[in-house]
Amino acid sequence: MKALIKLACAGLVLAALTGCAINRASATVDPGANLATVKSFHVKPHEKDERGVHQLIADNLRKRGYQVTVGPQPSVAVDATVTYVDKWMWDITMYMLELTINFREPRTDYPLATGNSLHTSLTRLSPPEMVDEVLGNMLKKEEKK
Amino acid sequence: MTRQPLALARRATAAGLVATALALGGCATPAHQESMAPVAVQSTKKLPFTVRVETRGGAATGLVDSSNVADADLKAAIETSIRQSGLFKSVTAGNEGDYVLTVSIAGLDKPMFGGAFTVTLDTGWSLVRASDRSVVLRKAVRSSHTTSMSEAFVGTTRLRLAVEGAVRKNISEGLQAIADAPL
Repeated sequence: MKALIKLACAGLVLAALTGCAINRASATVDPGANLATVKSFHVKPHEKDERGVHQLIADNLRKRGYQVTVGPQPSVAVDATVTYVDKWMWDITMYMLELTINFREPRTDYPLATGNSLHTSLTRLSPPEMVDEVLGNMLKKEEKK
Repeated sequence: MTRQPLALARRATAAGLVATALALGGCATPAHQESMAPVAVQSTKKLPFTVRVETRGGAATGLVDSSNVADADLKAAIETSIRQSGLFKSVTAGNEGDYVLTVSIAGLDKPMFGGAFTVTLDTGWSLVRASDRSVVLRKAVRSSHTTSMSEAFVGTTRLRLAVEGAVRKNISEGLQAIADAPL
């Protein structure tokens, strides 16, 4: 019985620790990059993306007034390509835990700007909100340069 | 089954669960800067210039986070590697230096759970001549390292070793790109 109680306590501590509200949002722009000159993007879908995150990114950039294409490789010349990594977690329902977005030089793949947001379950954001937060921080960072 | 063997079985199950959680889970130990510098970076090229190193995009490791790479630790590891390789005449601080090397972390892909941990580090290496601000090198460097359970049973240690391995390979490749660049 005591062993079971100890196990239950350990489970509670674990649940308490993993349930902590962690929020992190950061963005960096390469000192040599000038995002103000970027007018067109090409969003490359992540090979394991089954949730359409590439479409959310493309829609968000279009709303901001950029020309956007989507696909494995750009069919026309663009100013920057967009790649991303999304991480999901389950807590009652699946939610987006972390999203990292990169703007890259099309020819060399060099990262021109990087944005990252992480929100754990208690402060979770919807996928469109996550995309908006990350892109907003990256483009705001450029304005402040 | 009598009471005593039943209690023993429960304890064994509890111990097994804790051991499994330790082995499979990974959290909260930062990558060590001394383990991120490649052991055998040897450059045949000896540049008669000084260099200043800047790093960005890293993150500290929180208490309930998983292993991250802090900017200061990455900077120290790169500086150590440059000194050991002899690629540049010296590493400078402040606003000095003939060249400015900026390394930006664009992504650190880590598993949350599993047996063998593979970590992928995505960085951008940029070398700028300080005198005229001209860019002499811009390179995306992507490196991966896998650490198996036989190398480290505890998940937190296994993840840290995988992160450190990915950083070491990244620094090796980045310095090689500088050695190959026409300076």
